[in-house]
Amino acid sequence: MVKKKITNRGFALKMIVWSLIRRRSRLLVALTGVTIGATVLLGLVTLCYDIPRQLSREFRSYGANMVFVKDGVTGRLEGETLDKVKEALPSERLVGLTPFRYEPVRNHMLPYTAVGTSFTDVRRTSPFWRVTGAWPGASGQVLIGTDVARATGYSEGSLLTLDGRNASQARYEKDFTVSGIVSSGGVEDGFIFMSLEDMENMTREPGLVDLAEASLTTGGASLPELVNLVKASVPGVEPRLVTRVTRSEETVLSKLTWLVYLVTLVVLTLTMICVTTTMMTVVLERRKEIGLKKALGAENSRVAREFLGEGVMLGVIGGLLGSFTGLIFARVVSYSVFGRGLSPEVHLIPITIAVSAIVTVLASLWPVRRAVDVEPALVLRGE
Amino acid sequence: MFFKMLLGALSRQKRKHLMIAFTVGLGVSLATAMLGVMFDVGDKVNQELKSYGANLSVIPKGASILSDLYRFQDEGQTNGESGSAGTSRAGSPIGANDPSGSSASSSSSSSAGSNQAGAADVANNFIPESELYKIKMIFWAYNIVDFAPYLSIDGFVGETSVPLTGTWFNKHLSLPTGDEVDTGMTGLKSWWVLDGPPGDDSEPNEVLVGKEAAQKLNLTKGSQFTISLKPGGEGMTFTVKTIFESGGEDDGKIFASLAPVQELADRKGLVQRVEVSALTTPENELARRAAQNPGSLTRLEWDTWYCTAYISSIAYQIEEILPMVRVKAILRVAQSEGAILEKTQLMIILLTVLTLICSALAISNLVTANVMERSVEIGLMKALGATGLGISVLVLSEILIASFVGGLAGYLVGLALSQLIGLSVFGSHVAIKLVVIPIGVLMVLLVSLLGSLPALRALLRLKPTEVLHGR
Repeated sequence: MVKKKITNRGFALKMIVWSLIRRRSRLLVALTGVTIGATVLLGLVTLCYDIPRQLSREFRSYGANMVFVKDGVTGRLEGETLDKVKEALPSERLVGLTPFRYEPVRNHMLPYTAVGTSFTDVRRTSPFWRVTGAWPGASGQVLIGTDVARATGYSEGSLLTLDGRNASQARYEKDFTVSGIVSSGGVEDGFIFMSLEDMENMTREPGLVDLAEASLTTGGASLPELVNLVKASVPGVEPRLVTRVTRSEETVLSKLTWLVYLVTLVVLTLTMICVTTTMMTVVLERRKEIGLKKALGAENSRVAREFLGEGVMLGVIGGLLGSFTGLIFARVVSYSVFGRGLSPEVHLIPITIAVSAIVTVLASLWPVRRAVDVEPALVLRGE
Repeated sequence: MFFKMLLGALSRQKRKHLMIAFTVGLGVSLATAMLGVMFDVGDKVNQELKSYGANLSVIPKGASILSDLYRFQDEGQTNGESGSAGTSRAGSPIGANDPSGSSASSSSSSSAGSNQAGAADVANNFIPESELYKIKMIFWAYNIVDFAPYLSIDGFVGETSVPLTGTWFNKHLSLPTGDEVDTGMTGLKSWWVLDGPPGDDSEPNEVLVGKEAAQKLNLTKGSQFTISLKPGGEGMTFTVKTIFESGGEDDGKIFASLAPVQELADRKGLVQRVEVSALTTPENELARRAAQNPGSLTRLEWDTWYCTAYISSIAYQIEEILPMVRVKAILRVAQSEGAILEKTQLMIILLTVLTLICSALAISNLVTANVMERSVEIGLMKALGATGLGISVLVLSEILIASFVGGLAGYLVGLALSQLIGLSVFGSHVAIKLVVIPIGVLMVLLVSLLGSLPALRALLRLKPTEVLHGR
């Protein structure tokens, strides 16, 4: 009994393998179909995971979506408070946290607003700034807004002297070099930007800032949740959302994400149907073979099992190949659109293989059942 | 004979041909839907990105940083230097997040406030309201989605100072060209959260009050207040229509219709600043060069630049038609818009191309399978003396006819699919581009031929006896 079972199984395996090898061209057609299906499946689903995340990063070019000020009416934030804020925010979502400090200064008796900031961070949170010339690299260099440049006639390399009084009414004066001119079309055009250290040196006042801007990508806790989190964990700071940016991003990003999902759904459905029809064609032409097997005494269930086995094998091999090409597909799109690679979602590979196998089996079941139901004599005669 | 065989084959082998027609139909519907979305996604996303507000700021030529400076001096004299620092600081935090060019607003609020400016000052620091309709008459007029003028003054409610801004909420303009245009601030500030109806120009005494201003002045919906230019002076009475929250510096302001503010400020027919929201094309190298100096372009480049909806060319055209203004691109909006638009378009194009390649491969694959199973049929025809060419023409015609029938059905399904995507994502129809049809026809032809020819050639090479013998 046991022995018989083994030989039976061995025989079935042999039949499957042989049928696969003998029909090389047909096999190739079926395999191509399944592979294409699996490629589209894995590629699109990976992109579906990835695109909203990537797009959310792109939307950060609109600038900060959260602002931190001192709670209460007036007052300044301390540097340590900012460090705590930075710790409280999820680091993988924080694009940048930029401090700003505003000081009224004079140049040739005319008043301007000087802004102390961190140039490395401001480039991340305000990527829309357009700088002609260079960003300040060394201390003593400043960026001036284009309206300031227009009013004063200063250009790249000009020397300017700023003076003013600090909070304790002590007079200060310091020389700076203009390293570049910044334009944004907004308030920045009227400011003079320097590093926080330069501003501290100039005013001889310790490191306090008026506000800090943070740019956070979406995913995970929502921004209002983060606001509450920071409020709860860092005392003395009031986080605010920049509604203009957050609300608009919500609408546009959700629409784009929905677009990607819908396109994926349509493409996937159509591709899967395509795979099904291909498999059907391939199996349909084997009606004669089925008839012959039945005439030789094979039971219906046995014939069906054979085809199922073939389908599973095809699905697994096609799914494996397709997973590989699908990852390339997703990578090509991600690299050429966003200039960033993507982390392959490994758990999607077994799912892809399983789906491919299921689709292949389902696609062959229908024609096999039809062939099995028919009298062998009719099939063999060619009707 | 040929047609008889063709018709016979088509009617007898229905299932095989149906399969081809069905698969080609699927491929074509996919192509139609994806191409339809691809061609229109730029316009659609551009339209969506308008929710970020204006991307152009129009200010009077004379309004420069200098008027800002006088304000500092004034305040410095009255409040002492540290006091002025305090106000500038309080304004800055949110100002830094507001790209609407509030430097211009504060600049003119001072000159309007001083109220003693000469004629030259008026010409330099204000834009005549009567000229604004011209913004809708530039070359790219149809790309101007919305625009609204602003006139800001520092008003006093009792002893409390509060900024009051006059604007168009929903202005109806009749252009000399015969076009009718509705524009105003409501469309420009889509992110505002209102607790009542939006502003209406036909009720000039009803105003929108920012959340912080309402708190400061202790105002609620429906309450009345009198605002004047000087503390305790004679003023105008307004009713609070709606309280809004903008999440920016506008929360501290009151917004009213333009006319009463002009009257209060004694600036009849003048505005300080205009915000324009325009649909633009992402900038490229040419546009960047042009933005720096339009004079550096060659004649041909200049024409290309002028006739493309770059933000810089729209700005240039507004300056051309309104000689008294300077137009600045609000880069926070303009630049991001360009970047996101480019990425989305590229993404959809790549997805479309890759999907098309995949579906083309899948269809070719099916056609190959279909041709391969005709080995017996082809062998028989050859044995009966048919030429290779004759057989190929017959088989190809069968496949092509089936493909085109399927393709036509697929095109219609694809159109429906693209509308479904357009309606459910963007809430509007996707424009039907006729260019999709030749692309679809070409795809069907190419795919059917590529799928059938290699298999046909392989089959024709077989010996009829072998095939018929069953090998």
